[in-house]
Amino acid sequence: MNKSGLLVRLALVIAFSSLAVGLISAELFYRLTYLNEVEIANKEITQLKQTVSATASIAAYLEDHELAKEVVNGLGTNDIVLGASIRINQQLITPEIEADGASLDFKLNSPFEPDKLVGTLSIVPNLSYIEQRARKIGQNNSMALIAQALVVTLIAIYITYVLITRPMINSAHHLHTISPGTRDRLKVPDFHDGSELGELVRDINKLLDKTESQISEERKLRNDIEVLEKRFRMLFENSVSPIVLMEPRGSILLYNEAFHLMLNKVGFHFKKNYGPLLAELFQTPERLQKAVQESFTNDEIATGEYKLKSNDKEDSFWVQVVVTSIISDDMKEYYQITLHDISKRKKELEQLSLQADYDQLTQLLNRHGLEKQLHNLIDTKTPFVILLMDLNGFKQVNDVYGHNVGDEILIHLAGVLKKGVRREDLTCRWGGDEFVLVLKQINKAEVLKIVDKLIAKINKPYYLANVDISVNVGASIGAAFYPENELNIHALIQKADQAMYMVKRQEGHGPTQHIQFCDQLPDTRQH
Amino acid sequence: MRRLSLILILSLACNVSVLAYADAELIVVTHKENPVGAMSRSQLIDLFMGKYVAYPDGRTALPIDNNQLKSVFYNKLVGLSVARVNSYWSRIQFTGRARPPQEQDNDQSIVEYIKANKNAIGYIPKSQLTDDLKVVFEFNE
Repeated sequence: MNKSGLLVRLALVIAFSSLAVGLISAELFYRLTYLNEVEIANKEITQLKQTVSATASIAAYLEDHELAKEVVNGLGTNDIVLGASIRINQQLITPEIEADGASLDFKLNSPFEPDKLVGTLSIVPNLSYIEQRARKIGQNNSMALIAQALVVTLIAIYITYVLITRPMINSAHHLHTISPGTRDRLKVPDFHDGSELGELVRDINKLLDKTESQISEERKLRNDIEVLEKRFRMLFENSVSPIVLMEPRGSILLYNEAFHLMLNKVGFHFKKNYGPLLAELFQTPERLQKAVQESFTNDEIATGEYKLKSNDKEDSFWVQVVVTSIISDDMKEYYQITLHDISKRKKELEQLSLQADYDQLTQLLNRHGLEKQLHNLIDTKTPFVILLMDLNGFKQVNDVYGHNVGDEILIHLAGVLKKGVRREDLTCRWGGDEFVLVLKQINKAEVLKIVDKLIAKINKPYYLANVDISVNVGASIGAAFYPENELNIHALIQKADQAMYMVKRQEGHGPTQHIQFCDQLPDTRQH
Repeated sequence: MRRLSLILILSLACNVSVLAYADAELIVVTHKENPVGAMSRSQLIDLFMGKYVAYPDGRTALPIDNNQLKSVFYNKLVGLSVARVNSYWSRIQFTGRARPPQEQDNDQSIVEYIKANKNAIGYIPKSQLTDDLKVVFEFNE
């Protein structure tokens, strides 16, 4: 039983108030009844007096004690009369009676002369009897009242319970078990279709309707959003290009699978922050940042090609970086970075550029390529020596045996040259049958050493399988030193060329001196 | 028919005589030699209603009712009918104390009785007054 429950409270209140009302009214009623009874008693006594008045008057008139006694005795037989007495001129003509001051006195007049007083009739009311009677009546009334109050209370409690409390409690309990969003509704209690309780129940049901529809709408919306989100995610995740959403400081908010794969390719562990604009991933982060800054200042999308740092020494990974600045609804700035893998293209370009620098036949640097390298060396102030080499007797072979044979010999010689120099040295096909060797950071003695070995190999007859002949070629070499001899390429080549020519001129004229240093040239120009 | 008209005339006469008597003055008389003086109405009531059996001076009194004038007398004296007076007497009869007045038939017999009894007191129409009687009270209209 719920102590604060409607039913208990209501029952207690009704019982209490009816008890209080019952008690108070019973008490009031008793008092009123008592007063009333006293009044009634007085009236009755007066009536009694009326009854005996004539006889009493006669008795008083005649001063007839016997008659008077008869009268008062008769009166005394009444329950409400304690006793009576008749006086004539203050003298009792009947026996003395106890009158506790509560006697009613009536004048007795002459039966024949009504205005002549002949005596007094005193009647003493039986107060205790009257009180008893009053009390009895009062009690009866109280009982009746209390019984009535009790009955009314019980009926009231019962009716209230059946009509109001129970349907209310039932509805409340049902509501307690209802979860919003379901079809469950409250039932309007019987007989309450038109009452306030019925209205309340209907309103509650309306509320539940609204809640249900709202919830289902929300669900639908959520579903729609989920579907949409899945699609976006699909797009994002399946993108071939790595896409990253990050904060300006560098912490990554979103990335796709492609990004992860790319990291694996370049050998990086995944972490949440690679610095602003993924600086740690790039070879030249400052360049990237500067470019991005410039683009944003000009209100453009930043885009550029940058090389990724990589654990793989062989391969180089190039990406086209596209950086977009995004301002969110709450005024926060984010960067969207998309990387397009252009390594392949870059490789192709490199190849192309390689091709531009290399002689297709011999795979040695071509003139263009060599010049580029020489520029590099000069830029880095690396000392080197240029050996300009001209083949002896090649033209004849070419003429006699054809270009195919000539090519074969060139290829062979290229290989010889390549093998004969150190790894850091450069070999170049300068012209048709001219070669250039660039030896870095070397002295004359070492040059001679290398050259002697080379010449020995070059002079060795070379057997051509398909034509079944051996051919002999020789070489004439001119050398010029950077920076000792000249400082620019053109001058160096010239000097080397001059030196070589000297050697060539001496060919067939005594002991063959295969190499000539330009600074040992007789000063022919001055002649 | 003659008897009826005779009765009618007689009753009428009676009524007339009653009326006549009602209008006639009534006097209360005693023997000429009765020393009692004039009496008040109250005193008369006391005598005729049995309260006292003596005259104010103490001598015995003997009230007499006049059958002829009884109703008129009591009507004038106490305003009661004869029946009422009779019931009064019957009520107090048991106590034995008081006695109703003796009764005489008519005025003449009253006169005779009073002449014979010096204590007697009765009532007659004024017209019947004789020298032997003394008027002690006269009913005024």
